[in-house]
Amino acid sequence: MRRGAFKRGLTLFWWLTIAFLYLPLAVIVFYSFNSANSAAHFAGFSLRWYDRLFHNDQLLGALSNSLVLGLASSIVALIIGTLIGYGMYRHRSRKLGWLIVLIYLPIVMPDIVFGISEMAFFVSIDRQFGVLGPSLATMIIAHVTFQIPFVALIVYSRFVGLDPTLFEAAKDLYASPYKRARHFLLPTLKPSLIAAFFLSFTLSVDDFVISFFTAGPENATLPIYIWGAIRRGVSPEINAIATLMIGAVMIAAVLSLLFNRQGRRQ
Amino acid sequence: MTAPSSAETTDTSNGHVRDASAIALKNLHKRFGRDAIALDGVDLDIHAGEFFTLLGPSGCGKTTLLRILAGLEAPNEGTLTIGGKQVTDTPPHLRSVNTVFQSYALFPHLSVRDNITFGLRMKGVPANERRRRVDEIADFIKLGALVERRVNQLSGGQRQRVALARALVCEPDVLLLDEPLSALDAGLRTQLQVELRRTQKRLGMTFVFVTHDQDEAMVMSDRIAVLDSGVIQQVGPPHEVYERPVNAFVARFMGHVNLFEIQAVEGARVSTALGSLTMERPLPADQQQGMLLIRQEVIELGPEVPEGYNALEGVVRERLYRGSRVEYRLEVNGILLMATASNLGQRLYPVGDRVTVSICPEDVVRLDA
Repeated sequence: MRRGAFKRGLTLFWWLTIAFLYLPLAVIVFYSFNSANSAAHFAGFSLRWYDRLFHNDQLLGALSNSLVLGLASSIVALIIGTLIGYGMYRHRSRKLGWLIVLIYLPIVMPDIVFGISEMAFFVSIDRQFGVLGPSLATMIIAHVTFQIPFVALIVYSRFVGLDPTLFEAAKDLYASPYKRARHFLLPTLKPSLIAAFFLSFTLSVDDFVISFFTAGPENATLPIYIWGAIRRGVSPEINAIATLMIGAVMIAAVLSLLFNRQGRRQ
Repeated sequence: MTAPSSAETTDTSNGHVRDASAIALKNLHKRFGRDAIALDGVDLDIHAGEFFTLLGPSGCGKTTLLRILAGLEAPNEGTLTIGGKQVTDTPPHLRSVNTVFQSYALFPHLSVRDNITFGLRMKGVPANERRRRVDEIADFIKLGALVERRVNQLSGGQRQRVALARALVCEPDVLLLDEPLSALDAGLRTQLQVELRRTQKRLGMTFVFVTHDQDEAMVMSDRIAVLDSGVIQQVGPPHEVYERPVNAFVARFMGHVNLFEIQAVEGARVSTALGSLTMERPLPADQQQGMLLIRQEVIELGPEVPEGYNALEGVVRERLYRGSRVEYRLEVNGILLMATASNLGQRLYPVGDRVTVSICPEDVVRLDA
């Protein structure tokens, strides 16, 4: 009897936690379909805010900025991070502990500190050499900087989980260094690389603080646009954007999970 | 009594026999770091087409030697020749040598078929020939339907076969095997030992096998090299290494326990703590020190002493019944002597019994301490 009560209590606790996490999101999704311009009462179902969304050039521009920034920075971070992760693995006997701490640092650094430093850095370079003024390029560099450690760590941990004799087996079976990379390293890493790409992309699209400090006037990303729009008052249009973003993130999360699971099953 | 104990195989009917390669190692030295010496001057000739085993305890340098043959490790000094070609500095992917790794090292991202094809693909063998050769080797190793499976669906024994097929399909000059049976249970192990030896005889390929198990080494090999502390202690066919070990290390490693220090020599009579023993012929002057070995299975127990045999009196202290044979721990002159008798249905001596121990002079072997 008491066990039953305890179990029911746990179940209740579980649902409370889920509600705490998802209720705010549900409210946003719900009001994005509101036909009235209000976040207080629901007048009826409508897609008018979504319609307005897709005719808002400023917003579409911000969306495209976000996507370009996300794609470009993720690809660059994937290449550099993979090389670092491989290097950390290959030379793991050389006591590279300090390097790993160094790589971790940007992850634990407060975004605001990181953003301001990047801005100051780019501004001084711009003054000295006349390059790297606030633009898409500075944003990409800044994003790559914080994405690299995630990619490097994902790649590194994948390698650490492998039987080290696999590398020797590839050599033994006549694979030249280039062929080893192409036919052994890349295929083995593939699920991890896809997972790392999705994570980098999500981090980039998600980022507000660092983008805010490094963006030029024409480079507002979606979060920057939303922040600006909210200062002018919350509109149901914002709810509609948020709903779309929730959907996109959920799809990305599910994909990342699937690829990670595929990687682990091998 | 001196018949070769390795399995004799006469199957040469298969058409796979090809020109095999000999291996010559000269003065190989390998150090790890400043003072860890793995190989300390190894000279060795491995004949073409022979099943050669590197035997020794862990840390004796056998695996390092194998890795140098594969090209996965470079010697600090010395040269390595395979099939008449100097390959000391040749990287592994340019050597016609393949390895069956202890962990099998099958690629998890590839199917069994793609694993077996890997080496041929890297070598640039055309697709249709690759397919033909993989089918041929799968047939030869009897892989059957396993070829279309995923690697993670295979058992240990199946992985071992796939690893063997993956190496053999490349038709290397030399096949290296790094304790490929150590992860398997005893029954399967015995079965695969016989299969591996048959495969080698049918292909006529040079096999270099690494193990720490002396029984495995004796069953499979044409010749054995016993290593200790980076130095080769003895090289020879199994019966020679087992029956005529050159020193106490080799004798103990081959499983012998009855070793007695030589105290004094008088012609063919040698005194030890066990008692005075007559040898077949007098020891030469330079061999009058060291130890005597009496293999436990040559010791005869019973009231009658055959003509010319050494006779000692002992007491049974312990008896271990092993089915096909019986082991006795005997006390002779206060010294422990182990004797093994084949179980032929004769009377078993109970613990505490006094027995007469007979040893043929021919079976008293001198070796270095």
